[in-house]
Amino acid sequence: MNISQGAAKWIFILGTVSSIIIFLVLTVDTHRQIGALTNAEALSEDVIAGKRVWQKNNCNDCHTILGFGGYYAPDLTKAYRRLGEENLRRVISEPDKYFEKSFRKMPKQNISPEEVSSLVAFLKWTSEIDNNDWPPQDRDRATGAAARLTVSSTVSPGAALFKEHGCLQCHRINGVGGTAGPELDKVGTKYDAAAIKDRILNPQSYNTDSVMPPATEIDEEDVDKIVEFLSTLK
Amino acid sequence: MVKYNSQRIAYPYFALSLLLFVLQVLMGLWLAANYAFTLPQGLVDVFPFSTARAMHTNLLVLWMLLGFMGGAYYLVPEEAETEIYSPALAYLQLLLLAATGVTALVGFVFGWTQGRPLLEIPTALDIVVVIGALMFLFNIGMTMFKGRKWTVIQGTLLGGLVFLALLYLFGMPFYKNLSMDWYYWWWVIHLWVEGAWELVTGAIIAWVLLKLTGVPRGVVEKWLYVEIGLFLFTGIAGTGHHYYWIGAPRYWLWVGGIFSALEPVPIILMVVDTLRHVKERKLEIVNPLTWVYAVGCAIFHFVGAGVWGFIHTLPQINYYTHGSQVTVSHGHMAFFGAYALLNLTVFYFVLPRLKGIERYDERLGRIGFWTMNLAMIGLGLAFGVAGVLQTYLERILGLGYMTAQANMQFWFVIAIFLGVVFLFGLLVTVYDLFTIRKAPAV
Repeated sequence: MNISQGAAKWIFILGTVSSIIIFLVLTVDTHRQIGALTNAEALSEDVIAGKRVWQKNNCNDCHTILGFGGYYAPDLTKAYRRLGEENLRRVISEPDKYFEKSFRKMPKQNISPEEVSSLVAFLKWTSEIDNNDWPPQDRDRATGAAARLTVSSTVSPGAALFKEHGCLQCHRINGVGGTAGPELDKVGTKYDAAAIKDRILNPQSYNTDSVMPPATEIDEEDVDKIVEFLSTLK
Repeated sequence: MVKYNSQRIAYPYFALSLLLFVLQVLMGLWLAANYAFTLPQGLVDVFPFSTARAMHTNLLVLWMLLGFMGGAYYLVPEEAETEIYSPALAYLQLLLLAATGVTALVGFVFGWTQGRPLLEIPTALDIVVVIGALMFLFNIGMTMFKGRKWTVIQGTLLGGLVFLALLYLFGMPFYKNLSMDWYYWWWVIHLWVEGAWELVTGAIIAWVLLKLTGVPRGVVEKWLYVEIGLFLFTGIAGTGHHYYWIGAPRYWLWVGGIFSALEPVPIILMVVDTLRHVKERKLEIVNPLTWVYAVGCAIFHFVGAGVWGFIHTLPQINYYTHGSQVTVSHGHMAFFGAYALLNLTVFYFVLPRLKGIERYDERLGRIGFWTMNLAMIGLGLAFGVAGVLQTYLERILGLGYMTAQANMQFWFVIAIFLGVVFLFGLLVTVYDLFTIRKAPAV
C-alpha cells in the first residue's frame, strides 16, 4: 500500500472531524432525551443528597452502578427492586451483622439514618432509569432462574414468591442464596406451618438480634403460600 | 549521547514513575487477596477494598502520565532542536504532581475522596493537577515555539497533550444526574485512553522508531497521520460502547457497536507499520531488547486492546459481560499492552542514552520482559475465566452475586500467584533500569 503524504493528511483530517461531528451531534440529542429516559423530574433534593452520600463513602469503588465501578460487590443499578427499601436500609446501616457469616464483608461506615434515607431514595431513582433492561439478572422479564433451581423438584407458587420477595438475599436453599440468615434446606422438619408463619411475621420475637424485616408489607395470601412452600422443605 | 542538557529532566520523571508502578502492583496483589480470602470485619472497616482500588487505579494513571511527560521532555528538545524553555519549571511541576499524588493517596485512607471511580481525587487537588498540567503544556509549547523546527511528531504530541488536559475538566464537576455523570466520566476515561493518550504515545513511539530504524522521517510521519486519523475516527464515536446501559438513547447501541468494531483496524495498521519499519531499517540493531519491547508493545496492544476489546464491546455480548471480571481482564491486558509496555520501551530507549551507554547489558532486562509478559497473559486469562464463570452463573443462570463469586475464588488465588510472578519480573526490570550498564565486550 503506497499513499502520498498529502492523502495521509486528509485521512487524518476527515477521520477526526467526521467522528467529532457525529459524536457532538449525538451528545446534543442525548441531552435532549436523557431527562425522559432517567425520570429527571424525580431527581428530588433527597435523591441528589443520596448521590452525595454515595460519593462521600466511595461506595462505587466496591459496587458497580450502571455496570461501572468496582467489581467486588453486587451491582446496585436495580438493587432497590431486588432488595426492597427495608432490606437496603438494614444492609447499609448494619453491614457487619448482615454479612457476619459471609466470606466477603462490607465496611461499617457509620452512615446517619438521614443519610441512609437519602441513599435509599437515590437507589430507588436509579432503579427506574430506562437503561435497555440491564443488568440481565435483574431484568424486567427475569423469571428467577434461582427460584426455578430451588424448586426443581417442587414446583410451587410459594417458591416463586419466596424469590420475588428477596428472601434468598439472606437465606440459602440447596446452596443458593445469601448467608446472613439461617439455611432453610430442612426447615419443614424443624417447624410446622404455623410456627414458620409466626417466625416470618415476628422474627424479633424469637431472636432479638435478628435483622430480618417482619413480613408485614407482604400480602397475607402471599405469606401463606411462602409458608406452604417452606413446610415442604424436608 | 544527550544532545541537549535539558533532556536529563526525563530521569527523575522516569524514576518516580517506576516507583509508583511497583506500588501499583503491590496494591493489586492486595486487591486480589481481598477477592481470594475472607478478611476480618475490623480490617475491612479500616482499610476497605474501595480505598485500595482507588490507590491501585490512581497510581496507574499517575505513573503512566509521569512516564509520558518524561518522554516528552526527552523528545521535544531533539525534535525542536533547542533546550527546554524552563528546566526549573519542569522540576517544580514534578514536585507539585508528586506532592499531589502523595496527598491524594494518604487522603484516600482517611476518606478524602470525590467518590467517583478513577476520578477519586477531591476537587481541591484536581485544581492542583490542572495547574501542573498547564505548567507542563506551557513549558512544552514554549519550547516548540522557540525551536527552529516544526514536525508532525511535535504537532501530534502537543495536540494530544492539549486534548488530554481539556478532557480532564469534564471530570471535575458534581453531576446531579447519575446517567449524565457517567456520560461525561467517559469523556475523561475513554477519550483519554482511546484518544488523547493514543496521540501522545503514537507520537512518542513514532519518534523512537524513527531514531531506532533510520527509516526516512517522511515515511514515519505519513503512517503516523493515517494511524492517528483512524484511531480518532473509531475512538471518538466509539465512546458510544460505554453508553449502552446508562439510560442514554438507544442509537448508541448502533454507533458504539459499529465504531468500536472498527477500533482494531488502526492497531493492526500500527503492528504492520512497526514490523515494516523494523524490516526496512537503515540502521543496524544495537540493542535488541529495545526492539523486543517496541514490537512486544505493538503486539500486546493489539491483543489486549484490539482483540479483547472487540470481543466484549459488541452490544449482544456486552449485555452479559458488562461490569464483570471480563472487564477486569480486558482492562489489565489493554493498559499493560498499550501503555505500560510503551513506557518501558521509552525507558529502555532513553535511560542508556542518559548515561552515555551505547550498547547496554540486557541479560536482566530480558528476564524482566518475559516474566512480566507471560504473567500478564496468565492474569488476563485468569480474570477472563473468572469473568466467563461470573457471566454464566450470575447473568445467565440468575444465581446470586455471592454464589457466583464463591465459584470464582479459585481463579483469584491463581491471580495472586501470577501477580507475585509479575511483581518479580517488574522488580528485576526496575533494578535493571536503575543500574543499567554497558554490555560486556564480545
